[in-house]
Amino acid sequence: MLIIDILTVILLLAGAVFFLAGTVGLLRFPDIYTRLHALTKADNAGLGLVIAGLALQVESWFVVAKLLLIWLLVLLASASVAHLIAKTARQKGIKPWTK
Amino acid sequence: MRTIDQRHDLSLTFCIPAIFMFWTACIRAMLFALIWLVLTGGVINSWSIGVPVVLLSTLVSIILLPPTPWSFIGLIRIIPFFLWHSLCAAIDVAKRALHPQLPISPDLYHYYWHLSSGVPQIFMANMVSLLPGTLSVELHDKYLCLHVLDQTGDFISQLSIVESYVARLFTPTLIAYRSK
Repeated sequence: MLIIDILTVILLLAGAVFFLAGTVGLLRFPDIYTRLHALTKADNAGLGLVIAGLALQVESWFVVAKLLLIWLLVLLASASVAHLIAKTARQKGIKPWTK
Repeated sequence: MRTIDQRHDLSLTFCIPAIFMFWTACIRAMLFALIWLVLTGGVINSWSIGVPVVLLSTLVSIILLPPTPWSFIGLIRIIPFFLWHSLCAAIDVAKRALHPQLPISPDLYHYYWHLSSGVPQIFMANMVSLLPGTLSVELHDKYLCLHVLDQTGDFISQLSIVESYVARLFTPTLIAYRSK
């Protein structure tokens, strides 16, 4: 039981690190497109790790499946919403930041 | 120019072989039933609402998204590929965001499709947004307009690998892919 608890803590912390990095990226990256990169990719992995950590703690398979369903839904939503924001930005003529 | 939320031509729905249509409807109904089972936690009484809801969602999904041939083996292959590379994507972007010098050199890139239009292209456009360094911006007939986080990286070969995985997932497009 203890090993599972330690594994949960590791997974939750790793997930939190990704959420933090995603937020730091949102603040530090220079334009809308690069910020979308940070949010979609880091938060997707962060949520995946948090859900993996939580899934180890539940007793019922229904809850594991429900957590997995939440992750899949967020995955789909973040990918398509990132695309829609980027498309709108491009159509409004927002130029990507370049070095 | 096509967009990601493009509606399919309804007439397409009616020229698909009836057996394939029935098969797709069965698979989707099973999937929706599984989601209902998960959401309700397996309470028997809930099926009095669940059965009509599952049937209605199957009908709506067939109208909105006509049956597309896909391969189970292709799906099994793409899942570990996607999980591993989306984790790499997150590590990559986290490193760049936390690095003091902020090592990015973004640019737009046009990737010319080998995939057939419709579901395979939309699937790939969504998938590349979660893979290292790429973000789909606009879908065009001939190409996908991407935003690349680091133009010095080897994202082009990565895109063609992703495309071959997606082509194997939607079986008939594999033929089109190989003949190119």
